[in-house]
Amino acid sequence: MTDSTMMLPSVSRLLSRERLVRWAPILVLGLLVLFFPFFEWLMDFLEGKGHAYLFDSRFFSIRNAARIGIAASPGLMVAVGVTFIILMGSIDLSMEGTVSVCAVLFAFVFLAWGATLASWAWLAVPLALVVGAAMGFVNGLVHIWLKIPSFMASLAMGFVGTGLALILTGGDRIRIEDELFRSLLTERIFNFPVMVYVAFFFLLVAWFIQSRTTLGRNFYAVGGGEELAHASGLNVERVRLMGFTLAGVFFAVGALLAVGRIGIAETATGNNFLFISITTVVVGGTALWGGIGGVWNTLVGVLIVNVINNGMIVIGLPAFFQDGVLGILVILAVALSVNRRSTSFVK
Amino acid sequence: MNLERIKPHFPWLTLLALALLVGIANPSFLVPSSLLSLVADIVPLFIMALGMTFAIYIGGIDLSVQQLANMVTVIATVYLAQFGASVAVICILAGLLFGAVSGYVTNRLYVPSFVSTLAMGFIALSVAKYLSGQRALYMDATLRDANFGWMFGNTAGVPHELVIAVFLLALAWFLQKKTTFGRALKAIGSGEPAAVASGLNVVRVKVLAFAVSGAFAAIAGLMFSVKLSGGDANLANGFLLLAIVAVLVGGTPLTGGVGGVINTAVGTLIVMVIRAAMVYVEISATQQQMIFGVVLIIAIALTIDRSKMQIVK
Repeated sequence: MTDSTMMLPSVSRLLSRERLVRWAPILVLGLLVLFFPFFEWLMDFLEGKGHAYLFDSRFFSIRNAARIGIAASPGLMVAVGVTFIILMGSIDLSMEGTVSVCAVLFAFVFLAWGATLASWAWLAVPLALVVGAAMGFVNGLVHIWLKIPSFMASLAMGFVGTGLALILTGGDRIRIEDELFRSLLTERIFNFPVMVYVAFFFLLVAWFIQSRTTLGRNFYAVGGGEELAHASGLNVERVRLMGFTLAGVFFAVGALLAVGRIGIAETATGNNFLFISITTVVVGGTALWGGIGGVWNTLVGVLIVNVINNGMIVIGLPAFFQDGVLGILVILAVALSVNRRSTSFVK
Repeated sequence: MNLERIKPHFPWLTLLALALLVGIANPSFLVPSSLLSLVADIVPLFIMALGMTFAIYIGGIDLSVQQLANMVTVIATVYLAQFGASVAVICILAGLLFGAVSGYVTNRLYVPSFVSTLAMGFIALSVAKYLSGQRALYMDATLRDANFGWMFGNTAGVPHELVIAVFLLALAWFLQKKTTFGRALKAIGSGEPAAVASGLNVVRVKVLAFAVSGAFAAIAGLMFSVKLSGGDANLANGFLLLAIVAVLVGGTPLTGGVGGVINTAVGTLIVMVIRAAMVYVEISATQQQMIFGVVLIIAIALTIDRSKMQIVK
């Protein structure tokens, strides 16, 4: 709520306040990273064991950081994809279907063309990205041509995608046992598996698109005010279509990493990506109404959620508490990073 | 008769056309007794969608309904022996409470309802897992029949679930059309800043809308629990997206202020016809999901009234 009488005398305070709100997600992440080792220290202290804070922590270790990285990488790619859509003020709920189709088609083609990255089967990788782009493109077409709000269009396209994956597999699981492809998980550079670097590389690509290309600027323009963007001569529909296509490519990268992580492609590969990816985007500080945030916010959001999930296991929280604690922490994280002065109401 | 005037009637015209198409393909679909039992089967989903309508009507969304229903199946099963039929009151109060907290978090802590209700759903899941000890629980059959046996069965060919559904629909319609609460909902859905400016206690109305949604989800959960004679933290899984689809296909867009509970009744019936149709025209199980998605796109494209949306986001 804007309080106009307070505005003038406290401009400097407002500035620092806004800065605080902007950095709130990172602060939350930092606090979480320090909290879980503290909990471990406290437990050992109460039992009378010697424990140097941070140094003896099981959570605060390279091994565990790698574990968080592995768990977070596929989700990060999907969340980065949907970030572009949310920046435009739209939403994309088709990721579960797209991820499943890309994973399954990749696996089929990969096995058919030689079953190892050292043969022509490597072509299955770019093919998966093209399939992802095509599905995003169709998703965007349904949304734009039929003038169906993206929420409904992409939700229905998600059903189509999952259904397509089901038809392709008939419910079977496809194993990928190629050692070269599995080196995404097994090969480690500086203690982190290759997939973490791949995810980081695509994050940089996304950042480049967002901040250094016209398309990226246009996402912000559409999200900041569609009527204005339209009035200033922007082809809004084309930007939207490109956005959904781009998101599809990132969903496909997420699918490849998901297959690389467990070595199995199936209809269920896409499960659970839908709600968690949008939650991570919001936790990172990107606004659902568009125009605010970006891919770095999404990285922070993904890390927050994965640190919480990992930390709860490391400190041995009973399994039935974990969902609830995640829920409470997500609410707290978002509530802390909302700028109440610039938000008049929330939907 | 111009296009503008028949637009609001698109949802039920679509329903009629779909039902007729399936009826032509397989006449046994239109036999009244089988139709009635198909409709009766979808009642828990309908009740969930009915509650969700209130959240969507004000431009929000309630993603906690499925987990609330899960939690209620566990609560009902665990406490049936102790409280008898009044366990229903506990269930509905639990739904109201969770819904109200969702509403509070959304409107006072400024967490978008997409995230706040999802998070409340996680909390409900934890409660369900804790109370059930992460096992599937079963109700005592005699206790169940004595307390809730009236929920199911037939009187003069009319399934009791249908009576419950009609009663709840009437209640929701009354809330939406005939109370100041319902008027306030419409005002908020159509334009929240204007509603605030005209002195409406917007926060209270919105919290109440989420509470109503939670209460309906709880009733749906209770019906699941009695129908399947047990409770489990995963019993109602798979119903969330269907409930959203039922509301949207009925013609209540996510922007709020348009549509309402009658639309949701039509939307649920459309979902039912599409799903039943695949059985009646003998589509194989692996293909059903994809066909459902495609038909859904067509149904949504036909039913939504675009004249009230300035920008399609």
